[in-house]
Amino acid sequence: MSKEYPVKIHKKPKLQSSSLVLGWSEDMSNLGGKVTGYLNQKLKGQEFAEIEPDDFFSLGGVTIEDNLAQFPESKFYVCSERELVVFRSNSPGAEWYKFLNSILDVAEHHCQVKELYIIGAMVSFSAHTTPRELLAVVNSAEMKEVLSQYDLVRDMDYQTPPGERPTLNSFLLWIAKGRNIPGVSLWVPIPFYLAAMEDAQAQKKVLSFLNERLDLKIDFSDLDREIREQNEQLAQVRSRFPQIDDYINRLESNLMLSEEENGELIKNIEEFLRESD
Amino acid sequence: MGIRLYQEPHLENPILVAGWPGIGNIGIIAVDTLRGILGAEEFGEIEPWDFFYPKRILIRKGVLEYLEFPSSKFYFKRTGGKDIIFFVGEEQPTEGGRVYAEGKKAYQMANLVLDVAEKFKCRRIYTSGAAVALTHHTTKPRVWAVPNSESLIPEIRGYRNTVLMSDIEGRGRHGNITGLNGLLLGAAKKRGFEAICLMGEIPVYLQGLPLTYPKASKSVLEVLSHSLKIEVTLDKLDELDQKVERRIEEFYQQIPPEIRGQLDRLKHMTYDKPAGPGPITEEEKKRIMEDVERFFKKRGEGG
Repeated sequence: MSKEYPVKIHKKPKLQSSSLVLGWSEDMSNLGGKVTGYLNQKLKGQEFAEIEPDDFFSLGGVTIEDNLAQFPESKFYVCSERELVVFRSNSPGAEWYKFLNSILDVAEHHCQVKELYIIGAMVSFSAHTTPRELLAVVNSAEMKEVLSQYDLVRDMDYQTPPGERPTLNSFLLWIAKGRNIPGVSLWVPIPFYLAAMEDAQAQKKVLSFLNERLDLKIDFSDLDREIREQNEQLAQVRSRFPQIDDYINRLESNLMLSEEENGELIKNIEEFLRESD
Repeated sequence: MGIRLYQEPHLENPILVAGWPGIGNIGIIAVDTLRGILGAEEFGEIEPWDFFYPKRILIRKGVLEYLEFPSSKFYFKRTGGKDIIFFVGEEQPTEGGRVYAEGKKAYQMANLVLDVAEKFKCRRIYTSGAAVALTHHTTKPRVWAVPNSESLIPEIRGYRNTVLMSDIEGRGRHGNITGLNGLLLGAAKKRGFEAICLMGEIPVYLQGLPLTYPKASKSVLEVLSHSLKIEVTLDKLDELDQKVERRIEEFYQQIPPEIRGQLDRLKHMTYDKPAGPGPITEEEKKRIMEDVERFFKKRGEGG
């Protein structure tokens, strides 16, 4: 590994042929953070390396969330029994190419990673009662073929619209392609009114795919309970607020809401779910 | 991080002309227009990934086909004894959310451009950008020039419609050039190249608008082509200018009449011969600036 990559290896993992699952902590609906956290919890992930933050994050102070000082973290975990490496990080604000190559350096040179799975979320204007989909963008035709037996939307066409930029996930997928590491960027559309909340259904969608693909043998009963609870909470909002029920009914009928109605729906759902927690 | 040359053309006494986006895109339009008119041929680029975040992605049937970065390209044109290398950068490398190039990355890029200049034994470097000035959009923009060597001053004083930045009244022989234009000028001085930055004037009230200002690009190109002793017709810039001028007029009519009245006085800002009701005093200049700032602040707040 090149010395210029600021990676600290605490303990070298013993892996023969592993897969890397990567998620960003402050992703939409905290999907990347939740999925990687769940994998670490269920598969007893052990931290073994980290990327030093100074080149990649603005370190002018700390942010405070839920009364706690936060600091950027970019950590690698190993789940040895399943030949799995998990990387969870805040998304860097500078030197992206160097940061993403640092991840793949650790993956290739210390973990013998053969496949890359990147987790991402996108906004959907569907209701939460619509089953979650999992969209896949791959970096090689071979990877597309390998994934053909799974329940994925695999034929997406997309071009960056004017005024927007590609995601960090796409940037990483492209770098992995250049390094001949087969990879897939996974995207779950999340109902817009849950984008700032957690979406257990979306987490389960990604985790179920990873479970099947990587043979992780995870029992999802706790996550199923979370999904049931969230669905019950959302049903309560609908029964207590007829206007909210009407908005969600319209979304279920594939009708668009006005900007004002979208805002009202988001506000009410977020307030209710926060009060319920 | 480096330079990729697709070919190494043999060039005689070349000069290098560099342009990047900036206020009104004055510099890049001037440089890219000249490059287009002369039909210069692309021969290399600065590899982008260490400098820029990607700008576009194409996914076809679920497969990532390509990721496109802002380009930083070199072109050459043989003109018979005074060949030209063009460097056209689609973006300036920025750090920490700044608008214009600053810091280590920008300095690295400036030096990569100079590496190419050195390789081809360029005798001079021109950069180009914008000079925010108390002028009116209906008047012909001047060109502010800044050399990096004393020996260039007499030559610049001979350019038409050009003023040395340090000679401009009220600037106390000082000034600064932000972004890569300034940085390249300084880095060139450090490495022993002579260099001149040519900046076309843009009215102070247009600097924050998402508009190009081809009128100033034309002024820069007139000076540049004179300096390079090449003849070019600038009809395309005139066409572009007419289109932009209409949009500027629409904007101008939205400015409250009392401020517009002050701005109208800028039409009489002349440097050679006072015209109309007479030159603007320093106090009036100050008042105009305050009015303009107040208007844009109010506009930015949605007022």
